[in-house]
Amino acid sequence: MDRKTILEKGLLLPYLLDELDEKERLEVEKVLAEDAILKAELNSLESSFEKMALENAVAPPSSIRKRLEDTLGAAGTTPDEKVRSIRPKTGFDGTRLLVAASLAALFALTSFWFYSRWQDAEENIRLVREEQQQLQKSIEVLSNELQDVQQLNGLLADRDVIPVLMEGNRLSPEARAVAFLNHKTRSVLVNPKALPKLSTEETYQMWADVDGEMINMGLVPTDQDLVSLAYIEGAESLNITIEPKGGSEHPTVERLISNVYL
Amino acid sequence: MDENLQIERLKQGDKNALYFLYDKYSGALYGVVLRMCREQGLAEDLLQEIFLTIWEKIDQYDPAKGKFYTWAYRIARNKTLNALRKSDPLIQTDDLGVYKNVREEEDLQDYEMLNGMVRKLEAHHQKVIELIYFKGYTHREAHKLMDVPLGTFKSYVRQAIKQLRDHYPLAIALFLICIEVIENG
Repeated sequence: MDRKTILEKGLLLPYLLDELDEKERLEVEKVLAEDAILKAELNSLESSFEKMALENAVAPPSSIRKRLEDTLGAAGTTPDEKVRSIRPKTGFDGTRLLVAASLAALFALTSFWFYSRWQDAEENIRLVREEQQQLQKSIEVLSNELQDVQQLNGLLADRDVIPVLMEGNRLSPEARAVAFLNHKTRSVLVNPKALPKLSTEETYQMWADVDGEMINMGLVPTDQDLVSLAYIEGAESLNITIEPKGGSEHPTVERLISNVYL
Repeated sequence: MDENLQIERLKQGDKNALYFLYDKYSGALYGVVLRMCREQGLAEDLLQEIFLTIWEKIDQYDPAKGKFYTWAYRIARNKTLNALRKSDPLIQTDDLGVYKNVREEEDLQDYEMLNGMVRKLEAHHQKVIELIYFKGYTHREAHKLMDVPLGTFKSYVRQAIKQLRDHYPLAIALFLICIEVIENG
């Protein structure tokens, strides 16, 4: 017999309960004497059952201890002197037990305190990280907005920039857009925010009229504050049409919504 | 208090050492005996006999083989089962039906209710512990009482032991380690 067999057959508990026959008991004891792991297993089992038994203790009547004392006293096995001589040691044991208990309690409390502190610190770090991420996001948003505002401000303050208001015709009477032309830097920017939203299959496209020919300036998506378009030399007018998604090479004149002469 | 020291003293014939062990363990042992025999008068007599046996046979106790309480529990269990067999010759047979009738038919007494960690176990695990530890049934008897195959019963036992072990808190372990260190140090 070995540890594996004993554990597999579950023989430790029957051993503890004294259920095994003589042969099995001796075999288990032999392995226990040689196998520290199995011995530790038995110790743990014994401890569990002892604790459980103590938790399920029933106080016997005090008369039983008295009867026991009477029976033993009558037998007169031990001289009282011997008992007295070892008494002082009992007190010493009590002190040691008290010290042990205090140390254990202190250790448990300290561990628990450190554990709670650690958990608090972890939670705080997590919160700070979250706040930092939110701040970072806000800064990015603000920074983008600031850039737009600065750009717009720059446009309005620049004496070389000519703002051109483009109003919708009868096809789209509510449409409004502002084009900012700078002949010096040869740039065109359009604020399309006031153009009515189109379906996802359509887009606005801007054209410059040069000698009767419509030249593509680029697409005008309405989800941006300012759209940069191609500057066309010698443009006589600016025109906006509605084109299929992706834009066209030639303007769909039937869907011209705005036209401004320069 | 150092239990090992008290046991040494008991081996030298110190009655106070026996009273020390009585004060510590009589409740636990009486709890077991009373649940097994379910008769207060008999349980009281048995408890006294058990401690007299401990007094007389303490030389046979070998600390290397296990804890004192385990040894005392075995004495208690064997004495109680023997007393029950003597009090009713029918119990001597293997007829479990009779065995069951004699020891299970009465109403449950207050003291039979289990307490502590064992109460936290699932009902069938509690039953397993109750039958084999507090009622003194062997595995073979208990699995028939629970009406499950022996293999199933054994795995219940294994699970119950594991759960009991897991339930006893860390603080107790720390406390025991500290005592161990101080005692040996």
